[in-house]
Amino acid sequence: MSFSKNVFGTLLLFLCSASALFGQSDTPILSGTVQFLGTSNAGANFYQPVIVPILAVPLGDHFFIESRAEIQGFIARDNGTTGPYSGQFIATFDYAQLDYIANSHLTISVGRFLTPFNIYNERYNAPWIKNLPDAAIIFPIGTRTSGSSDGAMVRGVAVARKKFEVNYTAYFSALTNVENLGSGRAAGGRVGIFFPEKGFEIGTSYQRFLQNGELNASGAYLVWQPPRIPLDIRSEFAHSPNGQGYWLESAYRFAKDRRNISGIGRLQAVARIQQYFNGTPQAGDSLPLADTNRFDFGLNYYLPHDVRLNGSYGRQFSSLGNANIWEYGITYRFLFPAWPGGSR
Amino acid sequence: MKGRVTAFLATAALLACGLSPVASPQNPAPAQKSATVTRTTAQQSKEGERRFQANCGRCHNAPEAISPREVKAVLQHMRVRAMLSAEDEQLILKFLAP
Repeated sequence: MSFSKNVFGTLLLFLCSASALFGQSDTPILSGTVQFLGTSNAGANFYQPVIVPILAVPLGDHFFIESRAEIQGFIARDNGTTGPYSGQFIATFDYAQLDYIANSHLTISVGRFLTPFNIYNERYNAPWIKNLPDAAIIFPIGTRTSGSSDGAMVRGVAVARKKFEVNYTAYFSALTNVENLGSGRAAGGRVGIFFPEKGFEIGTSYQRFLQNGELNASGAYLVWQPPRIPLDIRSEFAHSPNGQGYWLESAYRFAKDRRNISGIGRLQAVARIQQYFNGTPQAGDSLPLADTNRFDFGLNYYLPHDVRLNGSYGRQFSSLGNANIWEYGITYRFLFPAWPGGSR
Repeated sequence: MKGRVTAFLATAALLACGLSPVASPQNPAPAQKSATVTRTTAQQSKEGERRFQANCGRCHNAPEAISPREVKAVLQHMRVRAMLSAEDEQLILKFLAP
């Protein structure tokens, strides 16, 4: 009798603990994107199937584990514009981090995280979110070596008022040469001020790259979404000894309410201009070897069930050769509980 | 004696009226209370939608369907990514899973 009581008590304690740790509301989720992208760049055709799964695991109210991987295929002709097609697949971890949400002003993250330089890398460099398929030319500035950092980061909203918020991020990253988990030794941060009623944010970033001669990178950004117009304006400027440049993107959605189901309301037109000015090239900086200007125009169509079609045309001007770049693709965003059970 | 009885009855009647749940605006009827709660929830949901658009909606639209099981993980993810406050999180919760 005493034995069975102990077993029952232990079982009850275990269930209570498990419920507290992984209760109904703490269900992990698997989200992400599946994309197929076709590109014609200066006559060379290639195809990129991409799967970007995100695993998010809440552990109570203060701890959170999140991870994003990227499995990307690259299928192209062996000799550029001629020969048979062959492909290769690359898998990388963009982030795998443990977050401690202390309060509204402070979150501490450890592990692998997206390098917080300006806004493109953290906010827009995901297949479902970015309006144009190609990353900005200046993307490698401030995000060397891989766009991800291995170390620790603090972030939050330092000051929150009704009319404005001051947000910040600071981090340190260690050098890692592990395949698919690489990162550079660097430290840096970002500060921004956001005016919610105006839909306007402006900010600045800094990175000190602590290897290969110790480089400084700095940048600035702005985002403006007028509350009354479905317009989205984003821009970044970045500078490093390797080069500097900017991009300015404008996207117009034909319906103010993004849940609008009318045919034209699902359409989005996007335009982006970029200018890059070459500095002192360095091995592994992933930047163009000459001054480059580029203009892109694209159309995105948001179908029901989180499916998006996109098509874009870009013209690139460079002393190394001008090019027409055509891109088209289909993107699907998914979200479901990471383990079964319970009602939806 | 008659006056005392009248005074007692009047006091009792006043107290009975004062304690009546129907008459007092400080203590609304269940139907009124339910309407107030519904209105408050609707207001919170509207405010949650506004906060969603001001924070999460700056980069992407809301998922077409989200279940109550998924919403906490989604909101914690956004709390870290978009630097939401605890108040933002609660209001957006009312919008996504009312």
